[in-house]
Amino acid sequence: MMLGVADSCFLIDWARFGRRELLANLFEAIFVHEEVLAQLRSPSAVDFASRLLARGVLRLYPWSLAEEELYLRLRDEVALDPRIPSLERPDLLCLVIAYETGAVLLTENLGILRVIQFHPTFSRVTAWTALEVLEQLVYRELAEVRSVGDFLNLVAEYCEDAKHVFSRKRLEEAVERVRRWLAR
Amino acid sequence: MVGKVRPPPELVREWEREDEEFRELRRRSADWKFIEEQEPRVRLALIAYIETGDRYLAARLAGLTLGEFDELRVKAGVVCAT
Repeated sequence: MMLGVADSCFLIDWARFGRRELLANLFEAIFVHEEVLAQLRSPSAVDFASRLLARGVLRLYPWSLAEEELYLRLRDEVALDPRIPSLERPDLLCLVIAYETGAVLLTENLGILRVIQFHPTFSRVTAWTALEVLEQLVYRELAEVRSVGDFLNLVAEYCEDAKHVFSRKRLEEAVERVRRWLAR
Repeated sequence: MVGKVRPPPELVREWEREDEEFRELRRRSADWKFIEEQEPRVRLALIAYIETGDRYLAARLAGLTLGEFDELRVKAGVVCAT
């Protein structure tokens, strides 16, 4: 079991998934910042977060002054780059939490994913979108997937429920990893 | 003063290709009739989202939280892409 930290974009999207409860089977605890919770308004997201909080899976992160300073430095380094969208405070805080704790960052924020691709400090953070979470459900046998077709059906189910699409390149890479795992 | 940390040019070119792919997916998925029927501020926010993929920017333009804007995104049929 691992530690995770979930940002607003991830929670909002994942909460729409019919099999959303499976997330709790992957993580010992998922940290959340109170500013992330403040972004949740849809009944599905509020209900999902409330259930996870009640079960003790979702836990409010004790934010510190040192982390606030780290956030300010990160913000000044990257937040004004026009090629990196959506670098707003709540999701940047989650990146800082993931860096500080070693937790897997659960995000659907494209800007955050891009920072992790090149930032000399924050590139050590492991980030998963829903696609990688679905992959992990396969590897840990939490979802019954016996073929690549089953995996693609699982992804399609998520995409339909969350009104989400994954880039062709990333989906092809994930399918290849699952194909190798199934053939092991 | 903290220096800017800049992405390498090859990564920026990959992002530009990705942005174009995602923009096209958002445009094609959108219910344009629904969008045209919205009040100007909401319409502007939805169009900004379709063009940029920036949920926070769109939510701010609409005067909504991220979660509230996402409800609107789904009603407008616009996919989120990563």
